Amino acid sequence: MNLETDILVIGGGSAGCMAAIVAKEQNPDVSVVIIEKGEISRSGSIAMGMDALNIVVQPGITSPELYMKSALIATEGILDYNPSNIMAERSYSMLKRLESWGIRFPRDEENKYISLQVHAKGNFLLEMDSPDLKLVLAEKVKEAGVRIINRTIITKLLANGERANGAMGFNIRSGEFVVCKAKVTILANGGCARFSLPNSGYLYGTFDYPGNAGDGYSLAYQAGAQLTGFEYTQCSPLIKDLNCPLLYITLTRGAEVVNALGETIDLEYVSTQNMLKELREGRGPIFIKMNHLPEERIREIERILFTTERPIQKKFWENRGVDFREGLIELGETEYQLCGGHGMTGIVVNEKAETTLKGLYAAGDVACVPFQHLTGAFVFGEVAAEEAVKFVNNKELSEVDQSMINDEEQRLHNIMDNNKNGSISVKDFEYKVRRTISDYAIPPKNDQKLKRFLWWLPRFREEMKSIRITDYHELSKFEEIQFILDCAELSVHASLARKESRWGWFHYRTDYPEKDDRNWLKHIVLKKGIKSGEVQTLLVPIKKGGKN
Amino acid sequence: MPLIVDVDLCTSCGECVERCPMDIIRLNNDGHPYKKYDECWYCGVCEEDCPEKALVLDIPFLVK
Repeated sequence: MNLETDILVIGGGSAGCMAAIVAKEQNPDVSVVIIEKGEISRSGSIAMGMDALNIVVQPGITSPELYMKSALIATEGILDYNPSNIMAERSYSMLKRLESWGIRFPRDEENKYISLQVHAKGNFLLEMDSPDLKLVLAEKVKEAGVRIINRTIITKLLANGERANGAMGFNIRSGEFVVCKAKVTILANGGCARFSLPNSGYLYGTFDYPGNAGDGYSLAYQAGAQLTGFEYTQCSPLIKDLNCPLLYITLTRGAEVVNALGETIDLEYVSTQNMLKELREGRGPIFIKMNHLPEERIREIERILFTTERPIQKKFWENRGVDFREGLIELGETEYQLCGGHGMTGIVVNEKAETTLKGLYAAGDVACVPFQHLTGAFVFGEVAAEEAVKFVNNKELSEVDQSMINDEEQRLHNIMDNNKNGSISVKDFEYKVRRTISDYAIPPKNDQKLKRFLWWLPRFREEMKSIRITDYHELSKFEEIQFILDCAELSVHASLARKESRWGWFHYRTDYPEKDDRNWLKHIVLKKGIKSGEVQTLLVPIKKGGKN
Repeated sequence: MPLIVDVDLCTSCGECVERCPMDIIRLNNDGHPYKKYDECWYCGVCEEDCPEKALVLDIPFLVK
C-alpha cells in the first residue's frame, strides 16, 4: 500500500485521535492519515475509558503558576517550563471541548466540578465519567474525514537525519507492506509498557496498555531525534497480580493504606513512593482498607472501578472472594515502565510539540512532558495538529530515497524467510529480555549492574535470528522486541550518565546515593551517533520560565 | 486462558475479532471466537462490544 498525505499520525489513541480531529478542524482540505496498530474504536491506553482528567486548571480556583509549582516538585527540578505551562494554560479549554463532545464531568451540589488533590499544590484532578471516551473520539475522527489504516505497525520512519517524511510498516494480519509519505509526521504511539517483567510472570499483565512496546521511542531514536528522561524508571503500587489502578478512586473517597503491622501509611497527596517504601523495607504486604466507609461510598467506588478503564476488576475480586465492605485489597509493585504521561520519559519536544527533527512532532506518552497524563495527550495532540497544519501550508512532499523503502521491505521479507524454522518462540525471547531488564536495568542501580545489561544487549540482538516467526502477528512481536531492546539500551545509558540519585527509588544508585543539585540539575538527552551508530549522551540545561 | 462462548448466542459476526486491541482473537472452524495468541490484557473489549453478549472473558491463570 502506497499512501501520500499532508499529515500522518502514527497511533490512534488519545493524542493521535485528538491531533487528527483538530487538524481537520483547522483546515478540512488538509489530508490526514492515522496508522493504528489496533483498531481505532478500542485502542491505546483508554480503550475502556478513563475516570479522571488529571490536570485541569480551573479559572478562579487554581492557576497555571500553581500547577507549575507542583510540577517542579514532582520532577525535582528536571523540567522545561514552556511545554508543561502551555498544557496547564490550555487544560480548561480542553475540558470544555470534551464536554461539548458529550464527555461527562460530574459536579457536586454546588454545581462545581468534583476535583481531587493528587498534586503537591492545588486540586487539579477532575473526575470524569466516561467509559465510552474512546468510542466518542473514534467517531469524531471518522466524521472529520480522516483516513484510518488499522492493524498496521510502523517499523521505520522515512527520515534522512534532519527531516521526517512519513513512515513504513506492515499490516499485522496480511503482512502487506505499507508506505506513507507525509509532509508532517506526528508520533502519538505511547510509551514502553512492556519494560521489566511483572511479578505475576505474565508478560502482558502490565499496568499500562501492553500494545505500547516503546515503538515511538525507538522509531524516533533510529531516525535521529533527541530523547530524554530514560533514567526515570517508574513503577506503581497497584492491585497485586492484576496490576490495575484503583488508588485515586478509593483513596480520595476515604480509603486508607495500611501495612502488615496495621499502621496507616502517610500518603502525602497519594505519593506512591511512600507505599513502595513500606514494601521494600519489609513492612508489607500493604493493603487498601475501606471497611469503615459507608455503603453508599463503597457502591460509588464499585460503580466506577467496575465500569471504566479496567472493568475486569469485578471478576478478579469475585474470584478471590474479596468484598470491599470487609476484605482488604492487597497492593503490589507493578513492573517498571517508561512513560511520558505517568513519568518523565520521552521524545524531546518544545511547547509547539516539535521534536528536534524537522517535520516530526510528538504528543502523548511518547513525548517528554512530565506527568502530563491524559490532559497532556489531548492538549499536545491539539498543539501538534495546529503546528502541523501551519507547517504543511504550501509545502510539497519531499523527495524520499526509494532505496530506503526497498531496504525496509526486504528486511521484513528476510525475517519471514530466515526465521520460519527458528528454535526460540517470540514469547520466550521476550520473557528473557524483560527478565534481564528486571535483573539489571531497574532500581536499585549501580555502574556494574547497569553494565551487565550492556553485556547482554549484543547477545540478544544477535540471537534474534533464532526467533521462530510463522505469521505476521509474530513478526510484529519480533519488531516490538527490538523496540524494547532499544528502550532498555537508552534507559541504561541514561541511568549510567546520571551519577547521582533522584526521584526517590526510581533513579536510586547505590554507588551515588545522594541527590546532587549542584551538578545534576540538567537533562540527560540521548541521540543516535551519526557515525558510530551508538547512543550519544548529552547534558542539557533546564529551560526555565515564568518567575523561576 | 479461555474465552467462554455461549454458542447458542454467538452469531459468528466477528466483532470481537475486529475490536480486540491486541488482535489475539480469531474464529475457529465452527465460527466461534478463541484466543489464538497468549497476549490478552483482559481489557474486556470483546465482552463489552459483543452485540449478543455471548462472551465471557476469563483472567489468565498467572494473574487471577
